[in-house]
Parts: sequence; C-alpha cells; structure tokens
Amino acid sequence: MIEVKDLKKRYGDKQAVDGVSFSVKKGEIFGILGPNGAGKTTTLEMMETLRPIDSGTVLIDGVDVAKNPNRIKYLIGVQPQSPAFQDKTKLKEVIELFAAAYGEKVDVMQFLRDVDLDEKASNYVEDLSGGQKQRLSITTALVHGPKVFFLDEPTTGLDPQARRHLWDLIEKVRDRGISVVMTTHYMDEAEILCDRIAVMDSGKIIAEDTPQNLIKALLGRGFKKKQHVEQANLEDVFIDLTGKGLRDE
Amino acid sequence: MNKSLFTVMTFVKINTRRFFRDRLALFFSIVFPVIFLFVFGSLNSGSSDVSFRVAVLNQSSSSFAKTFVDNAKKSDIFKISSDVTTMDKAKDLMDKSQLDATIVLPKDFGTVKSGQQIPSGNAQVIYTENSSQSGTALVSVLESEFKGINAKLVATQTPFTVQGKQLNEQSLSAFDYTFAGLLGFSIIGMGIFGPVNVFPELKKMGILRRLSTTPLKVWQYFLSTMIGQAIIGLIALAVMFAIAITVFHLKIVGNPFELALFLVIGIITILGIGLALGGWAKNERQAAPLSNIIVFPMMFLSGTFFPRFLMPDWLQNLSGYLPLTPIIDGIRLIATEGKHLWEIGPQLGLIGIWLVVIYVIAFRVFRWE
Repeated sequence: MIEVKDLKKRYGDKQAVDGVSFSVKKGEIFGILGPNGAGKTTTLEMMETLRPIDSGTVLIDGVDVAKNPNRIKYLIGVQPQSPAFQDKTKLKEVIELFAAAYGEKVDVMQFLRDVDLDEKASNYVEDLSGGQKQRLSITTALVHGPKVFFLDEPTTGLDPQARRHLWDLIEKVRDRGISVVMTTHYMDEAEILCDRIAVMDSGKIIAEDTPQNLIKALLGRGFKKKQHVEQANLEDVFIDLTGKGLRDE
Repeated sequence: MNKSLFTVMTFVKINTRRFFRDRLALFFSIVFPVIFLFVFGSLNSGSSDVSFRVAVLNQSSSSFAKTFVDNAKKSDIFKISSDVTTMDKAKDLMDKSQLDATIVLPKDFGTVKSGQQIPSGNAQVIYTENSSQSGTALVSVLESEFKGINAKLVATQTPFTVQGKQLNEQSLSAFDYTFAGLLGFSIIGMGIFGPVNVFPELKKMGILRRLSTTPLKVWQYFLSTMIGQAIIGLIALAVMFAIAITVFHLKIVGNPFELALFLVIGIITILGIGLALGGWAKNERQAAPLSNIIVFPMMFLSGTFFPRFLMPDWLQNLSGYLPLTPIIDGIRLIATEGKHLWEIGPQLGLIGIWLVVIYVIAFRVFRWE
C-alpha cells in the first residue's frame, strides 16, 4: 500500500530525514518510534503532502506523492497531533464540513456512531474533552473512505481509559482494511497496537520489525533486565481500581 | 450541483451559522458600528440649523409682550429654558455656558406710552463674554424681527431690501457624508479586522493545516469566505441603513438593488485586504502591525470620520486613489444622490483595479500554516 524509498529532507544545515525507506501493507498498523527530533513528524508530513520532498519517493496505492498531491489527498486521512476545531461548530457540522471538503455528502450520524459521539451530535466542539476531540478528529479523517490513515502521537495527554478506547478505535480502522501509520512515544502503546514498528534516530531508521521479533532479538543478544518484573504494573492496578469505562466529562 | 460549488456552499452555510452563534462577532460587526452611528449621527444632526439657548425674563404684563414670548417659543431659532425665571439663575447658567443669552422685556415693554399712538419698548439681550458671538447674533436677529414689527405699526417705505431664497433641490447634509463614511468604517471592521484576527488563530490551532490535507482549494476557501462575508455584511449594513432612515431621517433616493450590489462589491474588495493580511501572517504578531499600518491611514484619508472635501487639495487627490475612497463615494452617490451604477464609472473602475490587485496578492501570499 505504501512504498517509501530513500526519503530525504534538510532544514538549513540539519538533515532532518536522512534516507528513510520502508513499506506498509494493506490493513496493518505501522508504528514509527523515536526520540524527539528523530524526524518522525517530518517523515509523516512529507507522506501527507504537507512538506515538499527533497529527494526520494513515496508511493501510496501506486500514486507518487510528490507528483500527484491532489490525488493523494483523496487516498489519505490525517489525524494531527492536537486536533482543533473552530468554536461554535456542532459535531454534526464538523463531519458535514470535512465531507464537503472532499465534495461529498455523508450520513453524518453513522460517522459519529462509529466513535460513540452520536449523542453529542448537536453539541459544540468546545464542550468536548481531549479524548472526545481525538475521536471526532479520527472520524473526520475517515469521511471520504481513505486507504491510508496517518496519526501523529494520537494518545499524548489522554487518561488511561481514553487511551485504551482510542486503541480499540484504531484497531477497528485497521480491521476495515485501512493501513494505519502512526507515531508514538509510548512503548506499551507500540507493543500492544502496532503490527510492525520502525525505530528512528537522527533521521534514519535503525530497526524495523514486529515488536515481538525486536524484543526476541534483544533477548537473543543476551539482554537481561536488572529489575525483577512483576506480573502486573501500576497501570494494571490503576485500570483495576478505576475500571475501563470512559470518563469524558 | 457542481462538486466544487457544493464544497463552497457547505462552508458558507456552516460558517454563516457559526457567525450568528458568536456573540463577540455579532457585537463587533453589528452593534459596534451602530454605536458609532448614534454618536456621529447625534453630533451631526441639527448642526445645519442655527439656534440659541435663551432664557426670557418677561417683566411686562402687556399683551404685546405676551404675544412676543409665545411667538418666540414657537420659533425654531430659540430654545427657551422656561424654568429660568430670575436674573440670578440666568446669570448662573450663562456662566456655565448652558445658556447663550437672556432676553429681558422690561416692565413698560409693549405698553402704549402717554402721548403715543402705538406700543413701544426696549428689549435687552444680556450675554457673557464666552457667548459674545451668539449674543451679537441674537441682537441682530431680534433687530430684524423688530424691524418687521415696526414696519407693520408705522407705514414706511424701504428703498433697499434683501430676500433669501432656498433652492428646493436635494442637497447633501453633513449626515449624508458621515453616514457613507460610517458604512466604510463598518466594511473595514468586518472585512479587515475579522480575517486578521481569525486567521492567525486558525493557523496557531492547526485548523487551516488540517484543511490543507483535504482536497479543499484556496479559491474554494476564499470564495466561501467572500460569500459568507457578503451575506453578513449586507445584514449589518441593512441594520445601519434602517437606523439612519428611522432615527436620523436619511433619505435614500437611489435604487436599493443597485445599492446592495455596490455594497457587495465594496465588502468583497475590502475583505480581500483582510484575506491577504490574515492569509499571509503566520501569527498575531505579524498580522497586527501590518494591518494597522494599512487600515488607519485608509480609515482617516478615505473619508470615514470626516469628509474628504475638508482636506487640502493635494491630499484629496492622493486619498482619492485609496481603495476605500471610491466605495464611500459610490455609496453616497447611489444612496443619497440617486446615481445609477453606470453613472459612477470612475468609482467602479478604480474598485475593479483594486479588486484584481488585492486578490492577486491575497492568493500569492496565502499560507495554510
């Protein structure tokens, strides 16, 4: 579905992205991991037509991003890092607006139901919580039936319940056959959610495989954790105490 | 419907709804200009008529004096403060400049004195230093009034006379100029300050950037803003016209449809300046100074708050080329002078040139983030 070959981007004298290549299959969740400034967001933005590509190619469903950005826009859905909407807009109007941007008229309530926001159809966007805004943003990115869905750090700043809910949603998107490309800083998120991950540092991909294989490879090199690992962690305790139910208000 | 147009109309529909939900936007586009209208309207109305605030102290009981006071009360020239009955009170008010002068009719005013056939008397006009102009003017007004009365009492022949004649043609009042200027002010407020404040905010929140990942084109975004602004602008200006007509007796002699069409052209032209500034600026710090540099000179030189004919010739010539000037002039020419669109070619031509220049720049400098 996606072919990235030798992608490069330079800002001033900093080589932000330095020859990145990878491919994403149909219906898989591909995670890009890496410390701040590793070039994750820049890579994503070049694939999303938001940044000019210095060199290298990105093909999405066989279409060249640099040569045909307008066709690409119909193929991709984009979830920005911190989704925002204009005040005094009702949720159903947000969906209507984004569908209209693609020249389409859609069943607004169906898209709100997909992300459990149908009850808030007539609320204003400024009344939504952070998690609800993320969900609204996801469904607006899918109004035109894209083949690839990009998410930039989708769960940053969300509480554990909202994160889990979002994971479920992202998995549902994948199960519809859409390829998902996401960046994240959370290793647990990558481990649970991503079918394959690429680890980036200083503009280069330094590892690419399934999370399980990467862990196995590390253990195979004789790695041992210093600390004894409990069968549960603090997050398990938190979820056990507060439940999985969503708290949006 | 054509797909591109469907996109534009959906954006217009939802953004117009949003506008009417936003109290702050409503205040600045409708209430704020109306407040200006009331302030400037009240300052101007009545400034064309001369009137004197006077107190009349009538100490005479003659019927002549009584008739004189009654006539004075009916006259437009005098505003008589009837609650002033003593000289002390009158002096006090004149010292505070709340009265221009006091007319005193002495005890024997209007009585027939012994040995005479007709009534006579000597009225006094009392005024202070700070109202000496009004005082002397009032003296000559009264003199001419008395001359008329004298002529009726004593038949005389007057060899030289002068007669004033008012032309019954439509003439522009100060308010006509002020009102067209205030409409210009309102058009600037909506068209420039609106986008200049909103766009950097949308960029900061990443809303425009998110839109740029959709196939939405800049022209579609601009066109939807233009149509929305034209709708909202026409409503805001209609409110101002309604108030000007009912409260300040503005007479619209031109064709209302031509006027509406011309207003839409004006609104869209000025909006282009806002789109260019807001579309270019990355943040508020870039937007605010540049928009002030452009807006304030235009506001004062194009005849928004005071008419351009008060300026020296060289400045009139220069300010005539500003984009807002032909808009304000055109509104006045159509609304109060009854001109048709084809009669204001120079104005329309200049607006057309600006329209092209402004929008070429706006498209060139627009940035989604």
